[in-house]
Amino acid sequence: MPGRDPQRGAERIRKAIALVNSVADEAGDEEITPTEIAEAIRDCLELSDVDAVPNVRRYLGEALDAVSDGMPADFVAMTLYAALGALREGT
Amino acid sequence: MVVEAMPERQSASVVLMFAGGSRLEDDRLAGVSHFIEHLFFKGTKKRPTSKEIADAIEGVGGFINASTDKELTAYWARVPAEHMNLGLDVLFDIVANSKLDAADVERERMVILEELRMYQDQPQDYVQNLFEELIWPGHALGRDIAGTEDSVSRLGRDDILEYADAHYRLPNLVIGAAGSLDEAATMSEVTRKLSLRPEANGSLEAAPPPSLDSPHVLVRRRETEQAHICLGTRAVSYLDPDRYALDLLNTVLGEGMSSRLFLNIRERLGIAYDVHSFTQKHRDTGYLGVYIGVDPKKAVDAVNAVMAELRGLTENEVGAAELARAKEFTKGRLRLELETTNGVVFWLAYQELLLGEINTIEEEIALVDAVTGADVMRVAAEVFSRPMQMSVIGPFSRDSAFRLAIGA
Repeated sequence: MPGRDPQRGAERIRKAIALVNSVADEAGDEEITPTEIAEAIRDCLELSDVDAVPNVRRYLGEALDAVSDGMPADFVAMTLYAALGALREGT
Repeated sequence: MVVEAMPERQSASVVLMFAGGSRLEDDRLAGVSHFIEHLFFKGTKKRPTSKEIADAIEGVGGFINASTDKELTAYWARVPAEHMNLGLDVLFDIVANSKLDAADVERERMVILEELRMYQDQPQDYVQNLFEELIWPGHALGRDIAGTEDSVSRLGRDDILEYADAHYRLPNLVIGAAGSLDEAATMSEVTRKLSLRPEANGSLEAAPPPSLDSPHVLVRRRETEQAHICLGTRAVSYLDPDRYALDLLNTVLGEGMSSRLFLNIRERLGIAYDVHSFTQKHRDTGYLGVYIGVDPKKAVDAVNAVMAELRGLTENEVGAAELARAKEFTKGRLRLELETTNGVVFWLAYQELLLGEINTIEEEIALVDAVTGADVMRVAAEVFSRPMQMSVIGPFSRDSAFRLAIGA
């Protein structure tokens, strides 16, 4: 598919997962805000390859909703891992 | 009665296998078969305490036990061959002459309630119970064999006596004996000692489960370190000719450390620590399920990876080498199971009671060998096209991502 770069999509999702995991694990010196996590997920949603593989966009949407609803970081991470896995299965 | 002489063995095993089990119980009597099985070990007129029952068998180094299943209840003993008559005597005694004392009923009720609660604290087991509730919703097959806390609390001694009288009768019984024994002498001993009532009382016909038209997800929130997941679909009964293809499908998919689930999901992707598949078969239904024990963060990812493995089995034939390995695995397990007198006696009695005929091991192996890769793919396509059911235990406050994973 022209313009499609699954590596880039996976990379952005991994970046979002790393952010969420650092909240879940309470690691790092800087406090990461839900806004930053939501921004990282929106970055993923901008890529075209999230539409090329079934369910990736929907998992990312679920993750964004979970952040908005104040769900635990582990739950957000789970949904992002699902998006990453779906991308892996579809590529 | 089924008897298998195994003259080279040192032991003999005897089993009394009764048709029935939890499937025949209505909601009010849920758990009564299991309750009776416990009570039968509390004492008889001849052996008034549980200790005397245990001593009789353990005093000669033997083992005695029982199990309640959904479609049968079995009492068995394994003893040194020269004590086989003792084994038969004790088993006949407990199923025909148990006291079923009121005080024992109350004591055992507490034990069973604790047993039910214990299972709920074991998420790896409990998630399978929840899965069976989804596979057979509102049906006795979907209920815990031990009943519910409510039904066990309410069961009265009269209910128990009535149920035992109706079901512990000769027409419902298959007796099995295997080991170093004399067939004629064993038959004679059984005829002399067995005193169950010969006439049937009531029907053993069980209602079929209702149809299942859509996928479902059941999430039970628990603050566990691991997520426990069971997913699967209804499959075939133990009477279905496709049961051999289903068993090979199950072996390829998730039995053992060389199965696809283990190699791909645990070893290659590193997602789950424990992942395996299993089947359950009944007279008119069955299921194929997958268990996943996984870090909660990877739970949905693991489900997606399992779903991809299931899809793969519907789209491509299993290769000749993989199928041959699965056949050898199945045949080898059967042969190992039949190494012991206990294994043989259960195998024979089970076939006689539930299938109404007995295949030899050679016949069984020929049926396994006859399965082709196309058969496995056809059965996979049929079974996995049915609505997927999934139960989850873990720290999850919503189920939407799980629903998305199985299209529910």
